[in-house]
Amino acid sequence: MKQLLDGVRVVEVAIYAFVPSAAAVLADWGAEVIKIEHPETADPVRGLASYGIAPGDGGVTALWEVFNRGKQSIAIDIASPQGLEVLMELVDKADIFLTNFMQPARARLGIDVDQIMARNPRIIYGRGTGHGPVGPDANKGGFDAVSYWSRAGAGISAKAPADAYPALMPGPGFGDVQAGMHLAGGVAAALYQRERTGQGSVVDVSLLGSGLWAMQASIAGCYATKSDNIVQLDRSNPPNPVANIYKTQDERFFILGMLESDRYWAGLCEALGRPELATNPLYLNNKTRAENSASCVKELESIFESLTFEKLTSVLNSQEGQWAEVKAPGNALNDEQAMINGYLKYVDYENGAKLPLVPVPVRINEQEAVLRRAPEHAEHTDQILIALGRTEEEILELKITGAIS
Amino acid sequence: MKIKTGMRLKSAVCSTEAVVIKAPSAGENILCGSEPMVQMTDAKPDVAQLLEPQAGHTLIGKRYVDEDSGLELLCSKQGFGALCFEGRELILKQPKPLPSSD
Repeated sequence: MKQLLDGVRVVEVAIYAFVPSAAAVLADWGAEVIKIEHPETADPVRGLASYGIAPGDGGVTALWEVFNRGKQSIAIDIASPQGLEVLMELVDKADIFLTNFMQPARARLGIDVDQIMARNPRIIYGRGTGHGPVGPDANKGGFDAVSYWSRAGAGISAKAPADAYPALMPGPGFGDVQAGMHLAGGVAAALYQRERTGQGSVVDVSLLGSGLWAMQASIAGCYATKSDNIVQLDRSNPPNPVANIYKTQDERFFILGMLESDRYWAGLCEALGRPELATNPLYLNNKTRAENSASCVKELESIFESLTFEKLTSVLNSQEGQWAEVKAPGNALNDEQAMINGYLKYVDYENGAKLPLVPVPVRINEQEAVLRRAPEHAEHTDQILIALGRTEEEILELKITGAIS
Repeated sequence: MKIKTGMRLKSAVCSTEAVVIKAPSAGENILCGSEPMVQMTDAKPDVAQLLEPQAGHTLIGKRYVDEDSGLELLCSKQGFGALCFEGRELILKQPKPLPSSD
């Protein structure tokens, strides 16, 4: 069966993680993605160290692979006239053009909206920015920790009460991949529109806009409660003791998420071997458990801290309320449910290394993404130019001038 | 032989051909498979040919550099020989992303 975007051609002029991750989504859906890299400097993500993950750790450059799997790489100096012409020949044949170059650079290089759409009026021009295409910060650079996370309110709202500073982002590319998914979705919808109208369009997604989208329930809630910030849960005295985190005897953590606690409380007490808690007037229903939250939490803490992780897993599995182990990212690889559903897949490399990647989490007709390694720098330059009709001698001349590599 | 940008060279011992992309600041001896390379227009010297690829042999379309002198060669035809300049092995050119971290 053909992949969703089989035959769709994407040209990516982008660096770092946000827009490259949008193209990775399209590649997972089966599109042919050609990534343009600078001949000398390449995509800086090839050299990026982030959250203790350095290029080459484990035998591959993990961050590069995550954001660029399944693509082809051609090295073009698009600041040179010959290089720009090669890019434009790719634009002629493309359905989608994706970029996160800033507007002044795009205009200077000749790849801004007007120039690309004049060359190919049917193209979808996907534009990723830090803060949106208009306004005082339109040409201000951004990264997800800056524009998606901190500026949109996540850093302050995720700060634990005891912390002196706002929380940093949970890991590399956290906001970039959300914004990238938004861009990929917008581009897919624009392709549908093009099929009806014959016209291309411009799709805009910014890190700030995506961050605000993620924080919208908090923002609206703050307005409604006339506050600057949401209320952080005090885990020793929460409004609902069974929507809370507990520690096991062996120092692991469970989160309970039994929002409709009256449905689950008796079953939970039974499973925990303490049925009398369910009939104790202090903890009889949602309202009284809220009123006596601190003591209810203490009861539950003493039970959880007396049992092992393994025992509690089987206890919680035997009742109906919602719960999960609080896992570290590396523990995802031990999550049978995730593996069975194909939410993680290993990519194998020629040097014997392996890397687990998360395929695009949107699956159409139960079709699994085919994950392939990311390209070496300039790996596909010759093959792409030959497909454009250039002879080997012409390719050599372009290489001598430095327009390509 | 004074090495100039744009000069086209061939190996004496294999099928390698190369173009000088950047001339070196100093030095003249470019070797392929341990024998001096000659200009494309010159006759190929009568020396024994390599029968199997050396480690680091030339690959078509790849750039080879000598960081000390700045010499850069572009391989236009690949062969069994590895490249050497003034006693130093030429290194396959790698992209140099700016160091970045967060």
